[in-house]
Amino acid sequence: MPARNNKQWTADPKLEKGEWIDSRVYSDETIAEEENSKIFKQVWVPVCHESELPEPYDFRTTSIANEPIIITRGPDKVVRAFLNVCPHRGMLIERRPSGSFMEGQPSGNPKRMTCMFHAWQFDMKGNCVYVSREEEGYQDRLCKADVGLRRLRCEVKYGGFVWVNLSDNPSVSLEDWAGKPFECLQKSLDEEPLEVFHYHKAIIDTNYKLWHDTNSEFYHDFMHYHNRVTGFNDSYFARKNEAFDHGHVVVGSFEVNYENYEGFESRAELSFPHLPPNQWYMIDLFPGFNFNLRGSALRTDVVTPLGPNKVMIEFRGLGLKSDSAEDRATRIKHHNSIWGPFGRNLHEDLIGVTGQGTTMREKTDNRRILHGRQENQTIHDENGMRHYYDEWGRWMDRLPSAPDQPYSPPAAAAEAEAAE
Amino acid sequence: MPNNNYDISNSVRDTIYRATIALDGQEWHDWLALCSEDYYYIITSFSPEINKDMIYMEGDLKEMTSIIDLLPKHNTDHSPLRRHTSVYTVDVAEDGKSASAVSSFVVYQNMLDGNNSHIDSGESRLFLVGKYIDDFVIENDQVKFLKREVKLDNRRLDKGSHWPI
Repeated sequence: MPARNNKQWTADPKLEKGEWIDSRVYSDETIAEEENSKIFKQVWVPVCHESELPEPYDFRTTSIANEPIIITRGPDKVVRAFLNVCPHRGMLIERRPSGSFMEGQPSGNPKRMTCMFHAWQFDMKGNCVYVSREEEGYQDRLCKADVGLRRLRCEVKYGGFVWVNLSDNPSVSLEDWAGKPFECLQKSLDEEPLEVFHYHKAIIDTNYKLWHDTNSEFYHDFMHYHNRVTGFNDSYFARKNEAFDHGHVVVGSFEVNYENYEGFESRAELSFPHLPPNQWYMIDLFPGFNFNLRGSALRTDVVTPLGPNKVMIEFRGLGLKSDSAEDRATRIKHHNSIWGPFGRNLHEDLIGVTGQGTTMREKTDNRRILHGRQENQTIHDENGMRHYYDEWGRWMDRLPSAPDQPYSPPAAAAEAEAAE
Repeated sequence: MPNNNYDISNSVRDTIYRATIALDGQEWHDWLALCSEDYYYIITSFSPEINKDMIYMEGDLKEMTSIIDLLPKHNTDHSPLRRHTSVYTVDVAEDGKSASAVSSFVVYQNMLDGNNSHIDSGESRLFLVGKYIDDFVIENDQVKFLKREVKLDNRRLDKGSHWPI
């Protein structure tokens, strides 16, 4: 087809409704703000792994949708989550990314979360246990019992990940939210405790959904020489993208021929429990969380949108807590070779989505983004993205192909258009 | 030709700076020519987030050669990296057969690719900060890298890189 003029370029493609979306979904500031309130403040987010706070009084800090969060492990070993906000004047209680409350801070005592500003102190259950000069200032008008922290829904599940929901009343339980997609890996992840060995992050100029899209479609394996030479066989092309409720997708497994790539080795000996040798499963959870098990190493991606065209992606690598030093070293090497910041694939993936971010930054002309490959829901089919955007439309009450219109299912939208 | 510790020390410094020039120029095999057969390369960082010393990349001479030889097969950010290296200390063993050195480095990315190459290209951005911890072997009056640890201060690496640092 010859190059097109603007009218042709911006016309709807010759595909069915639901097989393409409007690029404003990725570039519109109002939509990005709405996503925080309508989606990220309502869903279960895997904020960290329980091995990051192994001992009583350990803590981690993070955020969801701009709300600062602190995760603590109490003396009862229970992991809890709170807003990392002092109820007095709104100071951030803990500024470090991680640490232990076993040691006192300049303004407070050991075993307490202390707000440095006015020395208010809280225990690991979020109870306020000390207000400096309480009676002198508040008499009997306000007391410690009135000023506990804001607790958050928090569960440790699916391989030891810490899941937090900002909503007091989530629309579904964590079990109902993630249980079905995790069935393919649950035995492998829950057989024995896991441990994080890798953490790094990327902050890049692109929309968070473009990263999740890339994790949801394997057609981009044409970009990865490693994947082409170790995959691209009959069993690879037979891999299924299975859609689950709530916008989640699982990419089915196949056997990877690592030895086809120079310098690589089979991962069979260190495969996770119950996982056949060199198998590879991937779970994509709506709205932007990825669990990726390549035989011997688990990678997770957690997105934090920072604007319509900016996202932080936190990458973790995990092995078994029981690993010998030698096995752990091998797992790390396997993980890094492809997924580390200097690995073969991750750099390419990040270049790819940054390039998309360049063409879809705020206020760029909207255009059509194609999600229309149909290959019987196998590996190069784009059904994962279609499934995702239908769910996204429901949460946002927006039509992905025309985001200024209310949501309607793809079939209904097509019928309405036909009737016009 | 080193004949005392002072000369060896100067040769060690010279080798570190030659490595920097080779890496900056993407003359990968020239860089590896400065390394012994037993060379080991590792990029590390400590994460306070997970409270662990981490490895981001590692390889022996054969593995690093393989990674370099496969680079044309991979899609890589074209923006060249420029290292500013300062050798802090050089310690030469009493027998003159080995040495170690600590250097500071800063890596800038000289933008070529970018969010929009005609806007970003030509701009230099801070990419990485850290220290080189180097071990050397001195054989036949030649100083060769035996091990390099690239100890990064960074855990935020954005797009990352396919290239050794």
